Amino acid sequence: MQTKKNTKETGNVLLCVLGTILIVSLIGATVLRNSTTRLNASSNQVRAWKEALSAAETGGDIGFAELRKQLSDPANQWAGWTPSGTGYGYVSPETTFGNSNLRARTGVETCYFDVSGAFHLGSNPDPNANNWYRVRSKGTAPLPNLKRTGMDDALTNDGLQHFAAIGSTQMQDITARGKGNSLLRKIDFQYDHFVATYGPNGDGLNKALVTASYAPSISRRVEQIVMPVTPFFDAAIKSATTFYGLGSAAWIDSYDSRNGPYDPTVKTNPNSLYYNDSRHGNVEIGSATATIMGTIYGDVATNGGNVTKKTANVTGTIDNNVPFTLLDYQMPDTSAWTYQSSPTNVTSTKTLTPPSGGTSGAPIYYVFTSISGALTVNPAVVGGNPVDTYVAIRVTGDISGGNAGVTVNPKVHLKIYFEGNISVKNNNLVNQNPSLANPYAGNLQFYGISPPAGTPQTVTLNPATPQTLAATFYAPSADVHENGNPDFIGTVVCKSFYSNGNISWHYDRALNDEGQLLDFRIASYVEDTR
Amino acid sequence: MRLGIPAKTHAFTLIEMMVAMATASAILGVTVTSSIALQRSFNSTDNYLATHTQQIRIVDFLARDVRRGLSVVSSVDEQTVQIQIPKYIIQAGDPEAILNPLLIGTPRSPSRAIVSRDYNINYGAAAPSFVQYKVNGASIERWEDGVRTTIASSTDNLLPQTIDTELANTEYTTTSITFKPISVADRSGTIVYATAYLRNRRRPPP
Repeated sequence: MQTKKNTKETGNVLLCVLGTILIVSLIGATVLRNSTTRLNASSNQVRAWKEALSAAETGGDIGFAELRKQLSDPANQWAGWTPSGTGYGYVSPETTFGNSNLRARTGVETCYFDVSGAFHLGSNPDPNANNWYRVRSKGTAPLPNLKRTGMDDALTNDGLQHFAAIGSTQMQDITARGKGNSLLRKIDFQYDHFVATYGPNGDGLNKALVTASYAPSISRRVEQIVMPVTPFFDAAIKSATTFYGLGSAAWIDSYDSRNGPYDPTVKTNPNSLYYNDSRHGNVEIGSATATIMGTIYGDVATNGGNVTKKTANVTGTIDNNVPFTLLDYQMPDTSAWTYQSSPTNVTSTKTLTPPSGGTSGAPIYYVFTSISGALTVNPAVVGGNPVDTYVAIRVTGDISGGNAGVTVNPKVHLKIYFEGNISVKNNNLVNQNPSLANPYAGNLQFYGISPPAGTPQTVTLNPATPQTLAATFYAPSADVHENGNPDFIGTVVCKSFYSNGNISWHYDRALNDEGQLLDFRIASYVEDTR
Repeated sequence: MRLGIPAKTHAFTLIEMMVAMATASAILGVTVTSSIALQRSFNSTDNYLATHTQQIRIVDFLARDVRRGLSVVSSVDEQTVQIQIPKYIIQAGDPEAILNPLLIGTPRSPSRAIVSRDYNINYGAAAPSFVQYKVNGASIERWEDGVRTTIASSTDNLLPQTIDTELANTEYTTTSITFKPISVADRSGTIVYATAYLRNRRRPPP
């Protein structure tokens, strides 16, 4: 018997195999798609989260660079920026940069800290003090492609709370919002969650539902406090190289003239309200060559020295690993100063009475070839009354001679920029502002303009009685010799320091914010992680 | 006489049936086996990637806190990290919040103090927030002022190690997160490394 072959049944096995391959391939493709999509989404979010911080810190850098224009290009500072809503600063234009189209925007606001250390927005009411700045920056990184969650941060109805209202105790950092990766990386899929939840300034005001600048995107916010670098900060004596001093019976302490005249009993009276102010008679030495004598009511820092408490009576800490450098000092920009063409030198007794008071930033400006006589500076008289008067004198030569000296009368704020040397008697530098009994050293400031390399510069203060001297010296290229044993109020910053007199030296803490602005520095960094 | 059997009504022979059933069983077996293998592969891959994501998350959490921190201390066994961070946001119960509840949830203004010949910028009169990272079983936990958050959890071996190194004014941490998948016993593990520096001046730890 022959059976007839049914040709319609050929190829069944092949079809089955192909179908199976198809099914298996689909399963495999699904596996790959699911895995890679979720991984790519997560990886993308990780990248964007990191880049958002980079963008925010770029905003901070932009703000910092704009602040430094105060030193290098004040005429163009804040060009293109808009005044901030608070009225105390400026907001930058939004900057887009990088392959990922990151966006950065920053706001810089002027601020200051009062005597108690409390923060205030606005300019320091003390015209001689330098301002601080609060820099708030926001950086945004877009998340290209579809709005996807990552590996494990899909918000599901799991009975847990993933959002916290402003003000609730659950706001505490990462418990405030999210789950999984969203605990850390807060993605704005449609709306800006920060503005909606906390307001544009994060203070709960003006909350609004606004579309994120990119959707989806990640934004991060940082706040930096920028401080001025000032020449007289928290050091009675600062020497870049060698230090010898003072006399064995000398002492260095501190006080704050804003709290009244110097009181010698405070430094040994822990019950005094101002006891803490008396323990900042710090000595900073930028080398290992340090011979410390006398009593120091403060800290001592050296760069590799071997100072111990056995070699000096130091009430504070001794740190022998504090390197620092002092950059050469150059004459500041005088283009905004009010120049007076005469006199041009002081060879005998001479009195200056400026025609107007000027300001701290635009003082009345004189240029002398030398000072070898006694110079007295009076305040300007406006409307029959003496007014606060800001005077700057540039001396292209020396300040020296038996009669050479400067007397600062009340209401006068004098800065002397000297290119040569100083050699004067202690008692020929008389500071009577605000009074002879309680002079403020910041009203008689000496700045030593650095000579060419290899050319020495000296500041020599010679003995004479009576010997009360209230002044500051910032001369990073000068060798300073104090040959007497005066009652010194103020600070000296120099290349090297020598003194063997039994001096009573008082650093005035009111000098902390004073003096020529040298640069800026970031003092604090905090991220708003909400 | 021959019976004519129409071709359309032909049945399969026993042999044909057996061959077909054997083939179908084989195909079905391959399909099921493949599906199960692929499902396992998917689960393993997903778990691997999810845990890898957690590795990165731990590192990023830590780096974020170190970056804004004031001090970092890692334990001897390198499993616990303690960080002081500025208390930037006013919380319920804080002194400012007691005086003015409207301030809750708002950024705090800084204050300054001179310590060791430099400025310390402080947020709040009280001590800074205290953050601690530690391992608890299969979880990595972050504690901030007594509030716990589980930032990573895996039944696989997830081993964080952090070392802090103090410099003159700053400090940095070197962190490694080792992930040893239990599904792949012969693997020594995948390690993610990270380094983070304090942005603020280093302070003495509490």
